[in-house]
Amino acid sequence: MKKTPFEPARRAFLGGAAGVATLGIAGLPSTALARIDAPHAAERLKPTSEVFGFCDMCYWRCGLKIRVRDGRAVKIDGNPEHPNNYGVVCAKGNAGLMAAYDPDRLKFPMLRVGARGEGKWARITWDEALDRVADGLNKIKQNYGAEALAMIGHGTWEKPYHRLAHAFGTPNTTSPVFGLCCGPRGIGSMVVTGREISGNETVDLQNCKYVLMLGRNIVESLHNGEAKAWVEGVSRGAKVVYADPRFTITASKAHEWLPIRPLTDHAFLLALIHVVIEESLYDREFVREYTTGLEELRARVARYTPEWAEGETEIPAITIRRIAREMAERAPAVLVYSPRRLTRTTNDLGTGMAIATLNSLFGVWDRNGGIFAPQGFPIPEPDLPAYPHARVPRADGAGVLGQWPLAHPVFGLTNQMWKAMAEQKPYPIRGLITAGGNGFANSTDYDTIRRALNNLDFYVAADIAPTEMNAYADILLPEASYLERYDDLQTGGAREGYVAIRMPAMAPLHDTRDAWSICKGIADRIGLGDYFPHDSVADLIDDRLKKAGLSRAELEQKGIVKIPADPAKNFAREHGGRSVFPTPSGKVEFIPGALRQLGMLDALDYEPQVRPDAGEFHFTFGRIGFHTHARTQNNPWLAEFMVENVLWIHPDAAAERGIEDGARVRVTDRKGRSEELAAKVTQRIRRDTVFMVHGFGHFDARMTTANGRGAADSNLASADQDRRLGTVSMGRALVRVEKA
Amino acid sequence: MTKRYVMLADITRCINCKACVVACRAEWETPLGHSRDWVKEVELSTADGFPVVQLFPGRCQHCDDVPCVEACPSGAAWKRADGIVLVDDALCSGCELCVPACPYEARWLNPQTNTISKCTFCQPRVDEGLPPACVQTCVGGALRFGDANDPDSEVSRLLGDKPWLQLTTAEVPGGTRHYYHTGGAPLPNEVLPRPVGQHVQAALLGNVVNPAAGIGIGGMVAAFVGAGVKKIIDRRNALAGGKENTHE
Repeated sequence: MKKTPFEPARRAFLGGAAGVATLGIAGLPSTALARIDAPHAAERLKPTSEVFGFCDMCYWRCGLKIRVRDGRAVKIDGNPEHPNNYGVVCAKGNAGLMAAYDPDRLKFPMLRVGARGEGKWARITWDEALDRVADGLNKIKQNYGAEALAMIGHGTWEKPYHRLAHAFGTPNTTSPVFGLCCGPRGIGSMVVTGREISGNETVDLQNCKYVLMLGRNIVESLHNGEAKAWVEGVSRGAKVVYADPRFTITASKAHEWLPIRPLTDHAFLLALIHVVIEESLYDREFVREYTTGLEELRARVARYTPEWAEGETEIPAITIRRIAREMAERAPAVLVYSPRRLTRTTNDLGTGMAIATLNSLFGVWDRNGGIFAPQGFPIPEPDLPAYPHARVPRADGAGVLGQWPLAHPVFGLTNQMWKAMAEQKPYPIRGLITAGGNGFANSTDYDTIRRALNNLDFYVAADIAPTEMNAYADILLPEASYLERYDDLQTGGAREGYVAIRMPAMAPLHDTRDAWSICKGIADRIGLGDYFPHDSVADLIDDRLKKAGLSRAELEQKGIVKIPADPAKNFAREHGGRSVFPTPSGKVEFIPGALRQLGMLDALDYEPQVRPDAGEFHFTFGRIGFHTHARTQNNPWLAEFMVENVLWIHPDAAAERGIEDGARVRVTDRKGRSEELAAKVTQRIRRDTVFMVHGFGHFDARMTTANGRGAADSNLASADQDRRLGTVSMGRALVRVEKA
Repeated sequence: MTKRYVMLADITRCINCKACVVACRAEWETPLGHSRDWVKEVELSTADGFPVVQLFPGRCQHCDDVPCVEACPSGAAWKRADGIVLVDDALCSGCELCVPACPYEARWLNPQTNTISKCTFCQPRVDEGLPPACVQTCVGGALRFGDANDPDSEVSRLLGDKPWLQLTTAEVPGGTRHYYHTGGAPLPNEVLPRPVGQHVQAALLGNVVNPAAGIGIGGMVAAFVGAGVKKIIDRRNALAGGKENTHE
């Protein structure tokens, strides 16, 4: 509480008996107790200083200004200049203070002294910790080869760990973003159009007239800049049609909610493509000039009629036709909006391609209200020695011909990496470095994760907080949070290109160190010091900025330097320019040549997924605006809103089972895994579907807020895979629900 | 011209992200278990059983007729000319008479300071030309704040552009400085103020403070206010000693 200084001279009344007497005991005044009228001094803001940064609470990485007082971060604000958020910050971002001040944080380097995963630790010094890491890594290389080391990251800080692992000589670095999340939508777009879908989507939502959303719960699976733009677009009159088994907050703002049967989005999209082609609703000029394969596509989708799709999706055929026509009327300012996490079925590649195809038929590329071309702000990387070539292909098969050739060769397939570690195939993996992340929460098979971890000779985990995964480490390295360090530059762009800086708001708390100094400390000890030539990451960014003709001082003025938006570049075809599609043919390929070469054209066809038996439900999970990943459930400021998740179940289904709102229920999958939590009985979900928010059900006693609270979706979701991409398929779980 | 500060909440833009709540907590070091602002999620359905969700950002409504100021025996509760309703910490005894007087349940005793906390429209920020923390952080752009007496202000334009409702009822008709745009939907009961009597002090003193003893209202007032006065004096001494609470 802020306090005004007490100035006795101002306070006239209490000094004298006269003041007390006015209160009296003779009775109340007619309207109120007597008050002492004295001038009030208004409270003043305490002075603070300010540094710039970018957030690490989720993947969107909003630009920040952090207020500092007495050497401590006291408030996180948005940087109004940053294109990711233009000044807004969500609950998670505001609660970043409590990620830094979390009493459960990893505070000191720790050495495992009991059995792996037992939870017995001894505190050690940094020197001893880094020496032990060096020793552990050297033994891995000696005994098995460099490829026996895997590195799994998640978040901004993993870059130095990637560099360390590559310098070490292993090909086995991976981040979950591709294999567990965004891979299929990106590859779907890539093989059809040659254009990626960036992690910061380049869609002109503010000016879009019609948004067809396939389960993209944009205001709860919250990425601030994206949600801000969507809300603005809706307020300007965009029509929103939202297909999702659940009536989310996004649904509540849509004009139409289509309670689509789970796992059938591809059917819906194919029927829309069918109508658009059959009724010639597509952008003829665009299709003629910029695409190939229309006639072959027409033949392929001939059987996917709206009537057929109605059977699959439970969306009426008449609705499907109407949506196609409505979109055509408003094209090109329309968007078929992809889910972000498109890891649901055995053919997510098909869904991703259909989205890109439909957007292409409507000619949205590089037009107002559609998908625009971003600008970047490339900053040269520092000069480093060449990385050694790995002796063997990646253990997860990502990018490997004959295994998963379409999968990203750098992000890899984290789900396949865990399997490789669990089975020790195609070759032993006995060493692990993790930088953040939590395989128990982000993957869908505890058994695989445990087997993988128990196969290790040596595991070093770097993180700011305890997790069920890093509980298995040999060495715990406590990192400084994003509020306590410099970091490598953030570059990117939407309409504007930008380079942004992360500055420390305060010195590292406890005995923590930033990721760069950790990795340099390790590298120096194992003969790889040449890969970390800078004394600190501040020196690194000075080096990079100098090469780009910029300086850190310049960047620290506003936290960001930008290239202004250029409509002629962002929206080329609005300004007499051309769209560019870097496919082998130089055009949008409705029948992707890449797939023809790989013999995978059947991905264009619909693959029926699973249906629940009588008494079963589709199991679904997702987000809520103030929690994210499995990181926030232990944050007291966010747990305040929800410390336990609940199971959404339709009133009819609940009544059949004698389940009342708030009652404890048990959810059991076909493998016999089960979780317990309270029920939320609501009409906001299909009768054949249940839902819970992701990231709860923690089971690590070090997380004093989150331990034992709620249920783990990751212990019920499916661990199938996309048949062609190798990405995980989490949406196919079928569960029973009963009163607990 | 005197400013007339108003808060506008467009519920069609609110996404229930709770950014406003956490930003407020951080800005004012609010202890957990309390909040100066909130977002209420109201689940309804249409006549055909179709779901509806409405989201209402809430806080002190900075009422025109200030029942809290009426109820406060020490003068700590006060309303500035620009409309912002405040608590003067130095005068607040923590007697909590104002708490039940508020139809919006916006006031509560801060256990760290033993004074009343509530939304102040971020008065210390506003006085330096900054927006309230909730408004600045709002992801959907639902919250807007400004001077309705300035015809060029954003709030003046918004007030003119679409219809706005206040959270008032027949029983609690007093005007407020907090306006809601619902896109035409009626206000649900869940967000309407609960009626509190005009002479709430008397009723409370009678029923809550000392229902059984017959020492009379005057006597109770004196005893209660006397205790409050002592509290004020004690706190002033503590303040003079320079103690402060922080949240770490």
